[in-house]
Amino acid sequence: MSLDLDRTLTTIKNRQWVLGDIDWDAPGAELVPAEQRAKLKDFMADLMWIEFIGARGFAAMAKKAPTETLREIYRYFHAEEVRHANAELALMKRWDMLDGDEIPQPNVHIRYIMALPPTFEDNVDFAQMATAIPMLETALDGALLKFLVEEIKDPVCHQVFAKVNNDESRHLAVGFHVMGLLGAGAVRRSALEVFKILVSLRLISLRTIVAAFPLIPRMRLNLEKMGMDSDRILHAMDRYLDAGDRDPDVEKGREYRLTRRYASWLMGKNPVLYRASDIAIQLANRIPERQYPPLPSWSSQLTHTPVA
Amino acid sequence: MSTAVDASGDKSTKETTLALIIGAGFAGVGMAITLLEQGITDFVILERAADVGGTWRDNTYPGVACDVPSIAYSYSFEPNPNWSNAFSGGAEILDYIRGMVDRHGLREFIRFDTDVSDTRFDEGSGTWTTRTTTGEVFTSRAVVGCQGPLANASLPNIRGIDSFTGHKIHSAKWDHDYDFRGKRVAVIGTGASAVQIVPELVKQVEFLKVFQRTPGWMLPRSNPSTPGLVKKAFGRFPRLQSLVRQGMFYGSEAGAVGLVWDTPATGIVRRAAKAHLTRQVADPWLRHELTPIFTPGCKRILISNDYYPALQEDNCQLIFWPIAEISPDGIKTSDGIEHRFDCIVFATGYDVSKTGAPLPIFGRDGRELDIEWARGIFAYRSVAVSGYPNLFLTFGPNSGPGHTSALIYLEAQINYIVAAITMILEQNLRYMDVDPVVQADHNVELQRRLANTTWNSGCSSWYLTDDGFNGTMFPGFATQFVRQLAKVNLTHYNVVGNPSPDGSPPQLVRDPAVEVLGPQAAVVRSAT
Repeated sequence: MSLDLDRTLTTIKNRQWVLGDIDWDAPGAELVPAEQRAKLKDFMADLMWIEFIGARGFAAMAKKAPTETLREIYRYFHAEEVRHANAELALMKRWDMLDGDEIPQPNVHIRYIMALPPTFEDNVDFAQMATAIPMLETALDGALLKFLVEEIKDPVCHQVFAKVNNDESRHLAVGFHVMGLLGAGAVRRSALEVFKILVSLRLISLRTIVAAFPLIPRMRLNLEKMGMDSDRILHAMDRYLDAGDRDPDVEKGREYRLTRRYASWLMGKNPVLYRASDIAIQLANRIPERQYPPLPSWSSQLTHTPVA
Repeated sequence: MSTAVDASGDKSTKETTLALIIGAGFAGVGMAITLLEQGITDFVILERAADVGGTWRDNTYPGVACDVPSIAYSYSFEPNPNWSNAFSGGAEILDYIRGMVDRHGLREFIRFDTDVSDTRFDEGSGTWTTRTTTGEVFTSRAVVGCQGPLANASLPNIRGIDSFTGHKIHSAKWDHDYDFRGKRVAVIGTGASAVQIVPELVKQVEFLKVFQRTPGWMLPRSNPSTPGLVKKAFGRFPRLQSLVRQGMFYGSEAGAVGLVWDTPATGIVRRAAKAHLTRQVADPWLRHELTPIFTPGCKRILISNDYYPALQEDNCQLIFWPIAEISPDGIKTSDGIEHRFDCIVFATGYDVSKTGAPLPIFGRDGRELDIEWARGIFAYRSVAVSGYPNLFLTFGPNSGPGHTSALIYLEAQINYIVAAITMILEQNLRYMDVDPVVQADHNVELQRRLANTTWNSGCSSWYLTDDGFNGTMFPGFATQFVRQLAKVNLTHYNVVGNPSPDGSPPQLVRDPAVEVLGPQAAVVRSAT
């Protein structure tokens, strides 16, 4: 997959949008009935916070990418993920899901992932991150957004997600392009990277590992709770693997193969992995809320108001 | 021989002066003083503004100061025992420049409000014809460009910048009539000017947002006031101050090891900067956003004790999202938010000339410097360009230091140029033109050495052209820079003499290499 990154950067700069471009008071909010709103609130909160997982990944890649153009592209992607979060917050506001200026809280897994110190990503190899972030974006972001668009009739919601999807398609195009560039790495290097990750895990608590690990299975459960087809996430993962396997340069990559292994365990409902994630979810649920780590300081900058 | 220009002379009857200096800033003033020291009075200075001082006259933003200690950021031949602090503010530096002008009676040599439009060399007569925007014409045997690297500033090319209906201020053209009290203000840029402006503005405005693209490495600075006793001692024993200057010089030379090249010493700079950040910023997230990714030295090192605390004031916020565009009401950022402001301050730096000529300059056979420099600037040892005889440059290509005072480099250039002009006069040269082969060899060597420096280590900065060519910095110690300018070596030039007054053919050059005021001149040359 060949992509002219300089042109992509220009396109990205030309396609910036802001919350103010959308009429948040346009008619249609009533198309989301009260009982749907109640179910949606936690889901939207999680979705919004998942944008931040992508955002943090891009922020770290903006520091590590090998070229100036790529670094600049990731700097935009970082901001765009935050824009998506702000837009989702604005939708929640539109649907009366917020008490005043309250920032809705994420689930325990996201909470622990967000609390990883800002230096955590610095220890993760660029190749590893450049491979994992597109997976998370397709699996979580992509699937959840698709679900929303299908289930919700509010035209403003559709308008927002059309814009978000445009951004995300550029994120994925760049993502797969970079995975292709990474190509085949030596086994030795991958082993070293895994070792480095293990060493960096030493820096975080066992509780964080337990809480962060079952994020995708947990989101699957959440969909189930809303009476939706929980395999949606897994289908989305399929799309990631299809795109990856189609491109021989991507397919050769060690990092890709590692990620593919993890994804296929998830999709094949590998019994060991499922048992482990079930246990992890239960353990995480038992962590008392008052012991949750504090949210990062920047979360106070989250806003549903288009003007600051 | 020619005579000095009569200040009241009319446009068509100008006589040829020995030298014409463009600009009465730090460089032009030093140039003039050194010419006078050599007994040369046959020169004129053209200054486009109504006053002396150059960039220190133009930059009057709140907090403006020099980030190099004043004892080093001054001329060795004009020591000032009365610097109030280790690092001086802009006003004090401007006073220093004005003081030199008055002491040496330079105003009579300066034509104010005289902006050069172009200058052209005539090979037959060996003279430069310089025209001004008002139609005046000056002829001179030599031209010295002292227009300065930080003389021009313009608003950056951000989408929608013209649509903003609030107040716009560029740091280099401060609007002192604007009342910041109760205003919502943006500062775009986090370079050397911004880190001085932000701590001052935050005290005045209602709310300040600082827009950062890439953070820079910042070192702490202590700025003690100079005790009265020290001032007295410096006044009484100039040699003492000269010794301190030498100490600073060699101290900063040691710093080059860490700042010019990526060495273990660079790690020390990095650790010192990180420690400064950790000490001043408690929030790990803010710290993360303020931590640069490039090698220290790749961009200019920032020096401040009050920038980080200012960012953490209740009425201040650091915005690190990309700017999507400027709107009529403020700034839209890529996180989807429009920030509304009464005023935007652009601390976005200067139009440093990295490609193209600073003004239209035409050399031998009508060649144009702007065309030759279209892809990047280059010269012979920063002071002369082949094909442009008797034209000399200060702060020319590859004469920027990353670790020490630019004035050290400037003084070496001034000494060299004055020696060359003296040669033109004493040996009655029609012109001296750098040998193109010598110049090419010099530049190949320069670029080879630049490849290993921190500036070329992969960050984008105002040192580099868009293509990554480095025509601004000198890859080495100040000692090396000064040494390469210690002699005017005429064997590096194609030299053409003038016929003698009695009609005999031009004499061969008598003295091919003239030593400039001693190899250490730029560091310790003393007025006493």
